[in-house]
Parts: sequence; structure tokens; C-alpha cells
Amino acid sequence: MGSAEEDYNFVFKVVLIGESGVGKTNLLSRFTRNEFNHDSRTTIGVEFSTRTILVGDAVVKAQIWDTAGLERYRAITSAYYRGAVGALVVFDITKHQTYDVVDRWLKELYDHAEASIVVMLVGNKTDLAQAREVPMEEAKMFADNNGLLFVETSALDSTNVEQAFETILKEIFHKVQKQKQRSSQSNTVSLGSESPESTAPAQTEKRPCCVAL
Amino acid sequence: EYEEKTGRAHRPLSPKQNVRKNLDFEPLSTTALILEDRPANLPAKPAEEAQKHRQQYEEMVVQAKKRELKEAQKRKKQLEERCKLEDSIGNAVLTWNNEILPNWETMCCSRKVRELWWQGIPPSVRGKVWSLAIGNELNITHELYDICLARAKEKWRSLSTGGAEVECEDAGFSAADREASLELIKLDISRTFPNLCIFQQGGPYHDTLHSILGAYTCYRPDVGYVQGMSFIAAVLILNLDTADAFIAFSNLLNKPCQMAFFRVDHGLMLTYFAAFEVFFEENLPKLFAHFKKNNLTPDIYLIDWIFTLYSKSLPLDLACRVWDVFCRDGEEFLFRTALGILKLFEDILTKMDFIHIAQFLTKLPEDLPSEEIFTSIAAIQMQSRNKKWAQVKKVLIFDNR
Repeated sequence: MGSAEEDYNFVFKVVLIGESGVGKTNLLSRFTRNEFNHDSRTTIGVEFSTRTILVGDAVVKAQIWDTAGLERYRAITSAYYRGAVGALVVFDITKHQTYDVVDRWLKELYDHAEASIVVMLVGNKTDLAQAREVPMEEAKMFADNNGLLFVETSALDSTNVEQAFETILKEIFHKVQKQKQRSSQSNTVSLGSESPESTAPAQTEKRPCCVAL
Repeated sequence: EYEEKTGRAHRPLSPKQNVRKNLDFEPLSTTALILEDRPANLPAKPAEEAQKHRQQYEEMVVQAKKRELKEAQKRKKQLEERCKLEDSIGNAVLTWNNEILPNWETMCCSRKVRELWWQGIPPSVRGKVWSLAIGNELNITHELYDICLARAKEKWRSLSTGGAEVECEDAGFSAADREASLELIKLDISRTFPNLCIFQQGGPYHDTLHSILGAYTCYRPDVGYVQGMSFIAAVLILNLDTADAFIAFSNLLNKPCQMAFFRVDHGLMLTYFAAFEVFFEENLPKLFAHFKKNNLTPDIYLIDWIFTLYSKSLPLDLACRVWDVFCRDGEEFLFRTALGILKLFEDILTKMDFIHIAQFLTKLPEDLPSEEIFTSIAAIQMQSRNKKWAQVKKVLIFDNR
């Protein structure tokens, strides 16, 4: 199996979180398959898609996890967040309640994921501008204050979807590059610092001889 | 009649007009109710009728508002409950991380910890606690896992290329056996928690599950792959990194009860069932007699429960809670759980005949309430005439010899 795997330099695991109904699954399908489904069902378990993009001259494979299962199965939260290097926290700009609980989602995220995870706040459904309940400035300010990236999207008309994923993947990429540099520097300067490997499990650099099962 | 939504262009659009057909986005019922006059090309309503319609309209709006308010309150309550649950999990995480885990050896058996443990381990520390509780008697290292995995891959490759001799310590196990076991693993992986979509072909942990099961068949060729293992490995993968999951998996399967079942040691399995029946009769005499009368033996339901450690028969969250306490109390908790389930459904079960009981127990209701199950389990006494589980089992094993 897996014989037709494309070549890539990095795999980044990114998770989608947020209240149910905010459009996580449609953001994912818009990005990975350029599809939008008007009556998509509640996600049960995990939806899992990949797409490979170019960041600079590196080929980055985004491995994106989407679930509504979090509310249903606590049993999978640990597996869901493990090794994630990026997270999109999605809310619906037409439902203030979905924005109010963003900090709960952030708490859950930081409880389970690595502290170094790159987080982007995403206000979805800008196509419903006339029903907006969350002002953009408010969300932007919240993101700035909490060190999150921020973007507003519409999975329906594709606005900013591509850009959202590209921005977060680039940010992760730069972080990884910096970490690499720093760890190689610190190795020369001081011995006995923490091992550089333990930082982010999913950003695996693919070895050319990698054997697929 | 009272709500004509489509129509003339000059009517102002309601702010939440359906811009897109999305099931998530429905106008609230109060805003959807709009009282309209008859179109201009029709004769106007008589004043009396119009008055009546206005009144009916207002009543409907009041009703709808009431309903919405109720819904909103319900949602608010749900959110509050969720927040409360999340907060209590958050607090538990702090206690586990800051107090218990750093002092594991001294604290793991304290009363306070045992009580917190019973409540369920928070998902973020669950893997760590399971690992510590299961232990590593076998002294398996990450390197050993890599070696076993490499061997498994070697085998698979040789089988798929037509199978020249591969030297492994497991002579005496024919290539056909290995191939059968490999096929079985493949088949079972796709049937492991299919609704989670995590372990199926193309899913994120498909290869991991495959690797752990393969490595285990190389580590313990005498046991090999037995159905049920894929569920156990999958639950561990959900909570632990690959090599750690393998270590927990191998050590878990090495426990006496699991060894008896996975090696399909019939004599020993019967002993376990007999021990179970001792406590069954002690705790639920009426139901026990009913089962006896109907010739319903415990193997009918226990085999599935024990082999998969309930992960196939109970909702996953509940199964993980059973695992939590199983890690704390050992094998007897598996049988105590079985009795708890029987106790919870005692009233229905006593009214059923053989086939219905068998059907019910092999396919438990999907919406099992975890609190009720645990209350029911808590009410089960694992003491029979002053003898504990281990003593009862010992006597039975002795008698069998």
C-alpha cells in the first residue's frame, strides 16, 4: 500500500476545532477538494484529509483532522491533539455563542497539545455578512491579545480559505526552521540542553528510504 | 395563509433571509412568521376576518417565542453542564499532573487517588496513568519494538514476494499460518471502530495499528494474532505514542486473564467463568437462577466482553472508564463490570428468554448511561463467603487439577 505517495519534505498535523455547525468540515473540504456541501452532516468520528502545498521550495504535506467527535467522544481527544503543530479554532460570525466559547476551545487545546502549537482564529461564513453578530475588529483584537493568527473566511464562496491554510502552514514552517537553527546553535554553545527532537512529533522530515507498510 | 414568504419585490427583506440553503442556518420561527395582507389583485379581507387572523397570528408568535425561550434555556443549561464537566476535568488534570504522577509510587494506592481514579481519568493524562498502572514487567524497550517491527516488515515483504525462507525464531509456524494471520490482521483493522474513521485504510492511525499488531506477532509468535487484539491495540493507540502503546499492549496481554483468553486455554477460561458465576450467584441470585433455568452460560456474553475489554460492546467513552478502573483493580474489575451491567438490566433480563437475553447482552443498548453503569458496578460486592476474587479463582484452579 501507499506506493503512489507523493514526495514531501514535511508532514504537518493541523486540527480543526470549534462548536458544531460553524463549518469546519466545509472549510476542510473546500481546501482539500474544493468542494462545499450545503447539507453536510454532523461529523462522526474523524474526517481526515491531506493536501500538499509548496512553502518556499519545501513540499509540505498538511494532514488535517476534523471532528465533531470531541463533544461526543472524550476518548479520542488525546489522539486528536497528539502531535498537532497547528490548529484552526473556527467560529461562525453569525452566531455570537460560537465565538463566546472560543476561549474554552483554546483551553482544551492548550491542555492537550504542545505549547508551541500555532493557532489561528477563523471567523467563518462571511457570505452571511448581513447576519453578522461578531464584529471583525472584536475578533481581531481577541486574536492579537492572545497571540493567534486571524482571518475571516467563507467556505461557501471560497473567500480566504486557501489563504487561511497557507498562512498557518507557512507560519508552522518558519517556526520549525527557527527551532532547527536554534537547536543546532544551542548544541554548539551549551551541552546538555534538552533534546531538540522532542519538540513537535508530527513535523517529521521524511527520510528518502522510508518504507511504507 | 398567514405567512406568505415569497412574493412582491418591494417587501423589505428580513435580515436573516435565506441566503444559502444550509440546514444549520434556519430563520428563527418568530422571524419567519410574517402577517401579510392579501395580494393587491385580490379583494381585501373583511375587517372581522382580518381581526381574527391578526389575533391568531399574535398567538402563534407568542407560542413560538415561548418555545424559543425554552430552547434557549435548554441550550444554556447544556452549555453550563458542559462547562462544569470541562472545569472538573481541568481540575482533575491539575491534580493528576502536579500531585499524583510525580509521586506515583507512594500515592497510587491512597484512598483519595483511588476515588479520583474511579471518577475516570482525564484524557490528557490517561495514557500516562495506564502505562504506569500496567507497568513493564517484560522490560520492553523502544528498541525492541523497532526490532520486532522490522522483523514483521521483513516477513510481510517476503510473503508478498512469494515467500522465500525468512529466518525467525518461530520455526514450526508455517508460512501458511503466517499468511493467514497477516490476512486476518488486515481484515480486522478495517473493522476496528469503523465509525471513528481513524484506523481504516487511509485513516491516520491505520499504519500504526498494523505495525503494533505485526510487531506483536513477531514478539510473541507463540500467541500470534487473535481477534479482539485489534480493539485493545486501537484503544491504546488513541492514548499513547506508538512504542509506548506496544509496551502497554504486550504487558497487558501478558496478564494471566488475558493470556488465558488469547491463548484460548479452554480449561482456564472455564475456571474464570466458574469464578464469575460464584460472584454472580452471590450478588444477583434471582437473575442467576433465571439464567440457569434458561441454560444461559456466561461464555455467551463474557467472551466478547473479556477479549476486547469492553471496547467493542460499550460506548468508547464508557469503555475507557472501565479500562481506567481495570488498570487500578486488575482482572476482577472486568468481571465486576459484567455483573454491574447485568444488575443494571436485571429487571428486563428476568423477563426475557434465552434468545432475547443472548441478543440483548451481545448487543447492548447504544445509549448506556455511564453514571448509572458505574453506580451499578459500585453496588457489586466482590466478596463471596469472606473470599475475594483471587481466592475463589485459586480454589477453582486447584479443584480442576
